[in-house]
Amino acid sequence: MDISFRKIDVDAYDEDVLLETELYDPDPRDPQQVIDDAKAKAASVRTSLAKSDTLGALVTVLDNPPYGSNVEEAKNLTLQTIVTVLNNTKATDIPNVVKSLSSEAQDTLMKYLYKGMGLPGWGDVSGSVLLGWHEKLTEVAGTGCIVRAMTDRRSV
Amino acid sequence: MAIPEVYNISQSPITSHSFNADRTQVAVSLNTNEVQILSRSGADWTPVETLSEHDKTITSIDWAPKSNRIVTASQDRNAYVWQQTPDPLTGRTIWKPTLVLLRINRAATFVRWSPFEDKFAVASGARAIAICSFDPDNNWWVAKQLKKPIRSTVLSVDWHPNNVLLAAGSADMKARVFSAYIKDVDKRPPPSVWGEKLPFNTVSGEYSSPSGGWVHSVGFSPSGDALAFASHDSTISVVYPGGPAIYTIRFNSLPYVTLTWTSEDAIVAAGHDCQPVLFSGGPSGWQAVGSLDDTTAPKSASGARGASTASSPVGRLNSAAFNTFRNADSRGLGSSPGGGSSLATDTELFTVHQNTITTIRQYEGAPGAVTRVSTSGVDGKLVIWNVNTISGLGTKLSGLRVG
Repeated sequence: MDISFRKIDVDAYDEDVLLETELYDPDPRDPQQVIDDAKAKAASVRTSLAKSDTLGALVTVLDNPPYGSNVEEAKNLTLQTIVTVLNNTKATDIPNVVKSLSSEAQDTLMKYLYKGMGLPGWGDVSGSVLLGWHEKLTEVAGTGCIVRAMTDRRSV
Repeated sequence: MAIPEVYNISQSPITSHSFNADRTQVAVSLNTNEVQILSRSGADWTPVETLSEHDKTITSIDWAPKSNRIVTASQDRNAYVWQQTPDPLTGRTIWKPTLVLLRINRAATFVRWSPFEDKFAVASGARAIAICSFDPDNNWWVAKQLKKPIRSTVLSVDWHPNNVLLAAGSADMKARVFSAYIKDVDKRPPPSVWGEKLPFNTVSGEYSSPSGGWVHSVGFSPSGDALAFASHDSTISVVYPGGPAIYTIRFNSLPYVTLTWTSEDAIVAAGHDCQPVLFSGGPSGWQAVGSLDDTTAPKSASGARGASTASSPVGRLNSAAFNTFRNADSRGLGSSPGGGSSLATDTELFTVHQNTITTIRQYEGAPGAVTRVSTSGVDGKLVIWNVNTISGLGTKLSGLRVG
């Protein structure tokens, strides 16, 4: 997601610049392992979905998501996997699924909802599905969850 | 239920407030470059004196209870210490400023006296904290700066009861504990959970919450053995360095920007949610207890009509702008100039404060047994709360979890 609105790089003139990567702890995994993990999760999510276990699928994919730089491929694959889960959930099931998630998983899900909304038309991202989830998630986790999705520098 | 004391001080935001020792006077800054000293007269506060020396907006005020001195910090990169002295011309007692040599090149953001009132710390946007002590030879206050490893604006500081350690919350997402030991002022502090040998600028701890966010407020517990901080990811965290353990409470509403410990096992925090919330816990865990504010009904009688339309329980989604747009959408109510009166009631929040609370301070009670706290905020109100009055867990607090 391109969220950079600054066109002039004012930091180029600052010898003591604070870099984006200094604001969060880096992922301890190396990039190759991150992509392997993402692929393994995608496979396990397909298995869960075949058994129509939406919650299990969502818990799996939201655990330990890829973040930071150099893992674009894993990030895209994870978003794709999550979108598949979201699209395959009946609207009436959403509130219960959202309530059963841990607060950490709720925050991660919120990050992916916003990432998805920032990419209209990407893959099979559907705005109306994301907004439906967003409404239910906000009812459960509140504005605090949205604030955390916006604040967290570990962007997914 | 004890009703909080509410004072409407001004129409403009109150950037900072600080009471004197016997709470008969309060120093406030109303988002200007002047400090107003208000004196209690019956059920009201009347201005008695104006302290003007700063060029730009005052960001923080602290009134030392024992030595009766006021220190102010401002965006003009200066701090002044104000002391009551007789005016040589008229003989009246006036507040006289003394300059502080801060040597910072950005705004001063926050100031606090040390517990023994022989030092104070000024946080600043210059990625530094100035630790100031008095130089009697020159009759001014000199500063020594804490710089490393601060990477951004320092937003708040808090002193450890031993007068040496200082906690700082910063916009680089970190809460840190520093040693602010000044050789000629301080005696060697006894060893504590934060370390034994503590020369100036020792970093005794560096903490952040899992999802980051500017650290708006920091506070040592009354014993000094625990540290709490509130950050902009809608969490508060409590650190026990001896444990070692960090408890982070995520909550459902908007971030808190200010907090204070009322006892060794209780914290009151407030912020964008417009209401002070009590947390309780100890070395084994923390949880939210409830709001000090009764948010079940609007505070003014005229606001009652708003209740029927306000059903969303989600934080400030149930706010003026939200309701305005929802009414415009579902009922075709526009914000036409003539229709202002019908919407006026909908802009009232159910909380006492009608906008963000920016400062919370201990008002009454010894450290560790605080019975009342005072808050001020963007709505120009000054409110004094009884910390033992909890209006139960509201619906929005029931979802709080310790993560």
